[in-house]
Amino acid sequence: MSMQFESFQQAWDMAGHGPYVWTAVLVSVFVLCWLMQRPLVQHRKSLNSIAVQMRREKMRQATNPEEHS
Amino acid sequence: MGSGRDWTWFHRLGSPRWFYETTGRWLPLLWAVTLALLVVGLVWGLLYAPQDAKQGNSFRIIYLHVPVSFLALAGYYIMAIAGAVGLIWKMKLSYMVMKSAAPLGAALTFLALFTGAVWGKPTWGTYWVWDARITSMLILLFLYLGVLALQYAFHSQDTGNKASAMLALVGTVNIPIIYKSVDWWYTLHQPATIKLTSAPSMHPDMFKPLLVMILAMYCFYALVLILNTRVEILQRERKTGWVRDLARQADTGPDNQ
Repeated sequence: MSMQFESFQQAWDMAGHGPYVWTAVLVSVFVLCWLMQRPLVQHRKSLNSIAVQMRREKMRQATNPEEHS
Repeated sequence: MGSGRDWTWFHRLGSPRWFYETTGRWLPLLWAVTLALLVVGLVWGLLYAPQDAKQGNSFRIIYLHVPVSFLALAGYYIMAIAGAVGLIWKMKLSYMVMKSAAPLGAALTFLALFTGAVWGKPTWGTYWVWDARITSMLILLFLYLGVLALQYAFHSQDTGNKASAMLALVGTVNIPIIYKSVDWWYTLHQPATIKLTSAPSMHPDMFKPLLVMILAMYCFYALVLILNTRVEILQRERKTGWVRDLARQADTGPDNQ
């Protein structure tokens, strides 16, 4: 097993097929990264929004105690 | 006869909390394995595998095209089975898995079509043909999008779940058609590269990185499906005590010191 290309330029060009191969690679890597980061962001946002809601409930309870009695 | 069989594992599996906590322990390892396999497989396939005698370097797209297509198809079964389990046993976790599988499957199907189109240009001279394999993959994309859309089409979550699950089940008819399309019809798309029943038609030096990439995509699929399901669990179980505890722990807001 050895490296198939002698220079960066050769790997980029791939004897004329470079534009096709690298387009496929770039788009795929972009989509795969997007799929991985999306739930991470949503996970944090969900926990935050639940925490904000809990704080709001607590404040409402503090200013208006009989509402929840 | 079998009535004494212990089914607690099955019910525990249906508990969102159990799923959330167990998968939380697996995630670090799964992240590491997935990223390592993806990097190794891609570099190996793109730079070290020998080039194809007929197609030249354009064949390297196979290292993306075949793995994402595999998972686009296998993922549909996972989504449909999750929907069926939800319909039969009314297990809410399995509806969450079904919903989590839909955007993931749609994105992978899009990638299968896209990498196929980009590969088609230097190989067949065209980005797109209305051939049996490609058209049935396009239908798969619409099925995924349909399942996703139905989730948001109803006021009641329960109705949305049932409608999505029904569409997912009906759509499974398409999967064997996709698999067999290259054998049943005369198509431009080449026959399957890998068959379970026969030796691979590829040279081992080309085949090994492909296996690594397929394994990498299975891990990737498991990882993203778990991540999506965990988000879904947080959102649907937001009223429960254990999720509120989690939010309290994660909260760094002003009046929580």
